[in-house]
Amino acid sequence: MSNAAKPPLLRLANVVSGYSELKVLKGISFDVAAGDFITVVGPNGHGKSTLLKTISGLVPLTSGAISINGGPTLAKPHAIAALGIAHVPQGDMLFPEMSVLENLLMGAYLAPSKAEIDRRLDEVYALLPKLSDRRNQIASSLSGGERRMVGIGRGLMMGGQILLIDEPSLGLAPLIIEQIYGVIAELSKSGRTILLVEENPARVADLANHLHLLDDGAIVWSGPPAELLARDELLTTYLGG
Amino acid sequence: MLDILIAILIAGFTTGALYALATVGLSLVWGSMGMLNMAHAAMLTLGGYSAYTFSTTLGLPVFVGFTGAIVVGAIAGGLLYILIVRNLLKNDKATFESNVMIATVGVGIALENTILLAYGGQPLKQPISATGSLVLGPVSLPYQNMLIVFVVIVLMAVIALLLGRTRMGRAIRATAQNRDAAQLMGVAVNRVYFQVLVLSGAIAGVCGLMVSSMTQLSPPLGNDPMLKAFIMCVVAGLGNLPGAVAAAFGLALLEAFVQYVAGARWGFPTLLFVVIAVLIWRPAGFFGRLQIRRM
Repeated sequence: MSNAAKPPLLRLANVVSGYSELKVLKGISFDVAAGDFITVVGPNGHGKSTLLKTISGLVPLTSGAISINGGPTLAKPHAIAALGIAHVPQGDMLFPEMSVLENLLMGAYLAPSKAEIDRRLDEVYALLPKLSDRRNQIASSLSGGERRMVGIGRGLMMGGQILLIDEPSLGLAPLIIEQIYGVIAELSKSGRTILLVEENPARVADLANHLHLLDDGAIVWSGPPAELLARDELLTTYLGG
Repeated sequence: MLDILIAILIAGFTTGALYALATVGLSLVWGSMGMLNMAHAAMLTLGGYSAYTFSTTLGLPVFVGFTGAIVVGAIAGGLLYILIVRNLLKNDKATFESNVMIATVGVGIALENTILLAYGGQPLKQPISATGSLVLGPVSLPYQNMLIVFVVIVLMAVIALLLGRTRMGRAIRATAQNRDAAQLMGVAVNRVYFQVLVLSGAIAGVCGLMVSSMTQLSPPLGNDPMLKAFIMCVVAGLGNLPGAVAAAFGLALLEAFVQYVAGARWGFPTLLFVVIAVLIWRPAGFFGRLQIRRM
């Protein structure tokens, strides 16, 4: 996965992080190269969201290093966002009193020009046409699925190099989950680099090119999704079957 | 009867405009930072005295005095962030709200006493004011009241445009609505906090100038407007700007009406009664929403 000549887009080296005294991640290391679709699976409460929050700077790093394009480890979330990390957080974390359009524009907060903002907006509306219809609706009045779409659209508006997506299926009806994963599949086909965390490995079986199994804050297995799905003992031990 | 009603409306709208200005500064800081700025009263006073200094002591034109009040207020807000708030934010976030409240009480007392030492306790006349009235039949509209309402309307429009239409305003609103999400979008929240305190300081500066033009300059000048502003904020729901403006005008009209009907001494108790009733029946305020916090 890692390219010897060029540093990977994202490199995690022995990452340890958590909340005050509570250590959640206990030495995570892996690379994400351009065009990769990496998925981290694991049961609830074992550090998947903390992993993405640590990469984007919301949870401070206790030790280890996170390098973007071979650069030094940064601490401030806004500086990390400026390097191209677009985090679509769990629970959407939209700006509830802003319209859909304003939420999307906040995604392009660091965009260099108005023309670039318009270009990204066209791209998002093409991929998620419902957002164009709902552009003037206040975010707090949207359904769960629509909010998730806005969250993904806002992440795309950031124009980042890597899209971090946190449990896109959480709390949604099966039909909506299918739609959301359809959008993610489109993104993957277009060559986007994606790091996604998910509880159910079957959902990413056809999408991810590599998978890490996270248990109690540590990676216990890595490999292609098909291999994990074929190993019943791993699924039973770590993911409850 | 009509002239009495118009007199009540004029008094209500003028004090409502002043309350709105005081409330917006306070509400903006609370809404975006979760910070109750107890030094807001002293910043109002500073604005009034700054205008006096530029216009009377230095003999500069009225426009310079007006601008001076804004600039000095903005600088005071900026310094409050750099010297106090920035350092408190580095500590435990859970204790920030209480720590910053206590710290700004201290800043307010220090600032008020500094003004007392510099200018003395004797009331001074604010030179930036308009005299005379526009007489329309039985109705007399004081130019000073008209000026205050005009300035406040212009300022409200500028603040609304700033918050609604500019990149900086969107960042302020985003930070107020979801600080973590704003950071993920690339917003440097510390810069936003600085901008909010500068803006709030500038608003306080103008407000102090306006209040002193209606009364007189004295070191505790800002205390009464700030107390009223707290009431407006609670009634509207802390951090809700349009609600705060609506509450300011509504309560000022109520106060003016009660003062006319029952006597001046019943105006403030009526406001206190309203705020207690709101706290009992609608704790999040008329326009606020209850927040559930994970402890």
